Amino acid sequence: MDFRLTEEQELLIHSLEELLARHAPESLMAELDEKHQFPYEPWQALADQGILSLGIPEEYGGTPADILTMTLVCETLGKRAFPLGIIYALGMITIRDIVQFGSPEIKKTVLEGFVGGDAPVALGITEPQAGSDAAALKATATFDGDDVVFNGQKMYCTLAEISRHIMLMTRDPGGENPYECISMWLLPTDTPGVRFNKISKVGWWTVPSYEVYIENARIPKTALIGEINKGWPQLMANFEIERLALCAASVGAAEAAYEDAVAYANQRVQFGKPIGSYQAVQHLLTDMAIKNENMRNYIYKIAWMMDNDLPVRHEHAMCKLYVARAADEVIDSAMQILGGLGYTMDHRVQRLWRDIRLMRIGGGTDEIMYNIAGPQLLKLGRK
Amino acid sequence: MRIVVCVKITPDPGDLQVRPDGSISLERAEWAISNFDLQAIEAGKKLAEQLGGTLTALSAGPAQIATSKLKKDLLSHGPDDLTLVIDETLRAADTAATARVLAGAVQKLGSADLVLCGEGSADLYFQQAGIQLGERLGWPTFNAVCRIEPAGEGRLLVERDLEDEVEVLEVPLPAVLMVTTDINEPRLPTMKDILQAGKKPVNEWSLPDLNLAPAGDGVEVLQVTAPRQVQRKGVLLDGPVEQAAANLVQYLSKEGIL
Repeated sequence: MDFRLTEEQELLIHSLEELLARHAPESLMAELDEKHQFPYEPWQALADQGILSLGIPEEYGGTPADILTMTLVCETLGKRAFPLGIIYALGMITIRDIVQFGSPEIKKTVLEGFVGGDAPVALGITEPQAGSDAAALKATATFDGDDVVFNGQKMYCTLAEISRHIMLMTRDPGGENPYECISMWLLPTDTPGVRFNKISKVGWWTVPSYEVYIENARIPKTALIGEINKGWPQLMANFEIERLALCAASVGAAEAAYEDAVAYANQRVQFGKPIGSYQAVQHLLTDMAIKNENMRNYIYKIAWMMDNDLPVRHEHAMCKLYVARAADEVIDSAMQILGGLGYTMDHRVQRLWRDIRLMRIGGGTDEIMYNIAGPQLLKLGRK
Repeated sequence: MRIVVCVKITPDPGDLQVRPDGSISLERAEWAISNFDLQAIEAGKKLAEQLGGTLTALSAGPAQIATSKLKKDLLSHGPDDLTLVIDETLRAADTAATARVLAGAVQKLGSADLVLCGEGSADLYFQQAGIQLGERLGWPTFNAVCRIEPAGEGRLLVERDLEDEVEVLEVPLPAVLMVTTDINEPRLPTMKDILQAGKKPVNEWSLPDLNLAPAGDGVEVLQVTAPRQVQRKGVLLDGPVEQAAANLVQYLSKEGIL
């Protein structure tokens, strides 16, 4: 088994590290977080450097890249500038859905915009009554001549006001089976009748989330993505890669926290010796390093499976469950090693600690990951 | 216009390890492009884009400089092609030997209008190879170059950042210029650049190909050691200034420093 990256992957990551050192230094990311500002300049730098073009078809300005390469990019972003990793990961589902199902006009608008530095299309799926039970959504789309009129309310719609478009999921009110009654639309965020209310969160301060109120928002019906009433399987087609990308960003965050912790353990002197010389700290660091290694291996394997068209039905859910928890634990341990310093708002670890917690909720909760993996494992056992 | 940029590939100084006796080990160091040469590559690329022409990267060293990854790395930064002169005797070549080989390679490449170098190398930083290369070629040669602009057919406007002044010169070509690190910010390779790098032409020569003898030992290195690291004592002398000053004198006397 060859664990080496390709030369191209190594060179790309080296170049990305340098780009982030120039355009997304820790001081800037801390400042943006404090001001609750979207990282426009670093995001544009990623676009200018072609990072956002990876995996997009070349006819829309894209660059060929496999899923492992994009996973490495997401991990590096997560390590050096976690919010960029999150934003990149959130785009994985909407952008890839558009690559797969969008009309040529929609692809041209969205993909060329994304490659040029637009924020990813926001996903409008969650509603007040439809969280983990996402298929319980109620937003409607009503045809009126050549137009379609939307009504409904979306929750936790991350990036909604930052993005040019929302990928809006609606239900045919007469339908029950989500595979036959949910549709996917590209709704411009400046459409009259669309309002936003920013939600205050514990973390992700540079990656804002919104309640979105949609009242008689009218657009041409050419905004349909894919087929009418086939939006649910279309969305499911790329949930797995979005979760992988969220995992990759989380691994990066855990690696960053580990870096901070091990540096501090070597430097901080208490009772006349560096605290790293005490076994209690060494045990914490060793457990953190093991978890980081396990997480990396897990995400690389899932990426490899996807690149080889192997199904990852239960594997991706197990990976998401493991990584979300392990990254949370690693960063919590880093805060423990850093002690009071780690709990201050001046230190990167407090930000990672606040930001990482959402990974056990967003993109499918821990509990939903069990619900996905468990039945699949039992099914495999019955064969 | 044909521009040749000389690039040194060295063990990465960031990977050096200090042995317990203070000597330096580079055994585990990965070989990398000398940082100072990235600005020279960028300056060459910009000129080639402005004036039309090609940029050739040129490097000389032992077999370690000829790995597939290093070739791609170098070419992904912008050169159109790469020429390597490979010989084991170049591993510890001094600046005179390096300049001799680079001059031979530039002459064999032929038709170069301009040779660019970094201000020094990441490992030894003698800042000599470029100057000696210019002398061997018999071309106008300038170091400390912080700006290069086209100045009409066969000429460049060159700005030099000197200690007490900025010197502006019109330099006839061919010439050799050594650029400073603040001449530009080198562009970073994109995935497309990296993918294309693997398809660019690479030319590998030996010293006999240049009709040159093996590089001799012009310089004998007796010893290279790292400065001894001393643990800070962390003594804090607080209290009124007069008292603290008196305590400081007493402490330094006790330590045998005064």
